[in-house]
Amino acid sequence: MALKIIDTCVNCYACEPLCPSKAIYKAEAYFLINPKKCTECVGDFDVPQCASICPIEGAILDASGAAINPPGSLTGIPPERMAEAMAELQAH
Amino acid sequence: MELPVLNETPAASAGGCSSHSCGTSDDQLGHLSDEIRAKVENHPCYSEDAHHYFARMHVAVAPACNIQCHYCNRKYDCANESRPGVVSELLTPDQAVKKTMAVAANIPQMTVLGIAGPGDPLANPERTFETFRRLSDEAPDIKLCVSTNGLALPDSVEELSKHNIDHVTITINCLDPEVGAKIYPWIFWENKRIHGIEGARILIEQQQKGLEMLVAKGILVKVNSVMIPGVNDQHLAEVSKTVKAKGAFLHNVMPLIAEAEHGTFYGVMGQRGPTQDELMDLQDACSGDMNMMRHCRQCRADAVGLLGEDRGDEFTLDKIEDMEIDYQAAMEKRKVIHEAIAEEMHSKRAAKDEAAAKHAAGKKLNTRPVLMAIATSGQGVINQHFGHAKEFLIYEASPDGVRFMSHRKTDLYCSGDDTCGDGESVLQRTIRALEGCEAVLCSKIGYEPWDMLEQAGIIPNGEHAMEPIEDAVMAVYKEMAAAGKLDEARDEQRATA
Repeated sequence: MALKIIDTCVNCYACEPLCPSKAIYKAEAYFLINPKKCTECVGDFDVPQCASICPIEGAILDASGAAINPPGSLTGIPPERMAEAMAELQAH
Repeated sequence: MELPVLNETPAASAGGCSSHSCGTSDDQLGHLSDEIRAKVENHPCYSEDAHHYFARMHVAVAPACNIQCHYCNRKYDCANESRPGVVSELLTPDQAVKKTMAVAANIPQMTVLGIAGPGDPLANPERTFETFRRLSDEAPDIKLCVSTNGLALPDSVEELSKHNIDHVTITINCLDPEVGAKIYPWIFWENKRIHGIEGARILIEQQQKGLEMLVAKGILVKVNSVMIPGVNDQHLAEVSKTVKAKGAFLHNVMPLIAEAEHGTFYGVMGQRGPTQDELMDLQDACSGDMNMMRHCRQCRADAVGLLGEDRGDEFTLDKIEDMEIDYQAAMEKRKVIHEAIAEEMHSKRAAKDEAAAKHAAGKKLNTRPVLMAIATSGQGVINQHFGHAKEFLIYEASPDGVRFMSHRKTDLYCSGDDTCGDGESVLQRTIRALEGCEAVLCSKIGYEPWDMLEQAGIIPNGEHAMEPIEDAVMAVYKEMAAAGKLDEARDEQRATA
């Protein structure tokens, strides 16, 4: 049982001081979670702290590999609108 | 001490004794106590006058944020963009101290060090306060300031007051949580992410509480607001009134920056920013209640130099690594230079006062107001080539005198070499940025832009090189008035009065 940070992490440091298990550490390219230490905050908080402050959709995965903050959930931008806007920009 | 540049008096209420002609101090700091004015007069971000002379820098030590704003995208870390929240390299407090001292030694007119992000400085208390603690010990001649979204502010006031930080900027975009919910999708509060109106309500409460606590401690507070048409534009006059009543000394209404390529909510969803006119109208509407700041450049969280310029490239980590700084020696040199600048500022102010008094005593012209664009690289004089200007300062001349209105950024159309392939279209863009202006004052200008400006109805003028801006604007205004160019709208104004 552990959460995972993936390479879309922008190194903002917000999660690191919040982890009650001190499982989060700065690695070469981005932050990582030590799966042996991560408790998903069970017993400390109602919700996992790292995923509750992380500003990047999709950067933190649950134990099953699903994004805790899926596309659109943090920015409010509907994913289809985002795809459209990016396609428009590429076309220029 | 009086400053003749009208920044306060709205043009519409320019009669009677509230006007410039009665000799009141009209700049944005005019009403302040001498104590506060002494604190801000060499602060480029707080004093319009000072920003022609003194420089500032930001150190990017604070990456974490505790809220999400719809005008911000936390993914961006880009060297080519210039807007708040964007940086090239994140610094540790140790690197930040080293960089600050390197800049202070090499750009002695740098008087102010701010921490402004790229996240929220107070959401990174350890890195932010360690930087402040070390700088107040090691570089005591540098003013320290911080800007914040306000969420963690009430908890930080005590610590802020310990570090010799006498300037704090709070970004306050609304007082109404329903408006707030359209700007802030969520906040992180008491170990939870809180969405919508409830999150906005908590943020607004913390901002207002923080503002009151800072004022009670005697710390100067400036309030920044982002003007978002259709979201908070109708609401900001009330914000201005409220924060002034609580003791904020300056209000800075900034235009929303929203481009799809920034990847922000507003950018992607097609929310537009305000036009120059909408922004100036709102600033004028608020200025009845509040001292308005009009010279903000919305700079990056790692900007270095005079407002409007960025010399960050000269002070990257690898470059400062090789610099040997003797700060004691630098401080002595800085002191001499600061005194010389202060003297120059004071004598220019005195000259401006005298000119303004002379203008007020003279026969009042009866014309409509006119906007002029100025190319300057600092020192309050016209000293820049039209083609080298990255931005123009906009001044208004009217029967009541000359006042600074805003600045307008432009794409640099000529880099000075022969590779100006698409120069023409960039020149057209520059001319579009000057819409509404009727004259451009610069040190020199080429034939091609001269013709194009004339075709666009803007008079190019290179006759006032190295003259103080206000004097030159006044001289050109008088020429235009004498030539009858400023008569027509007088009739229009009468018709609508």
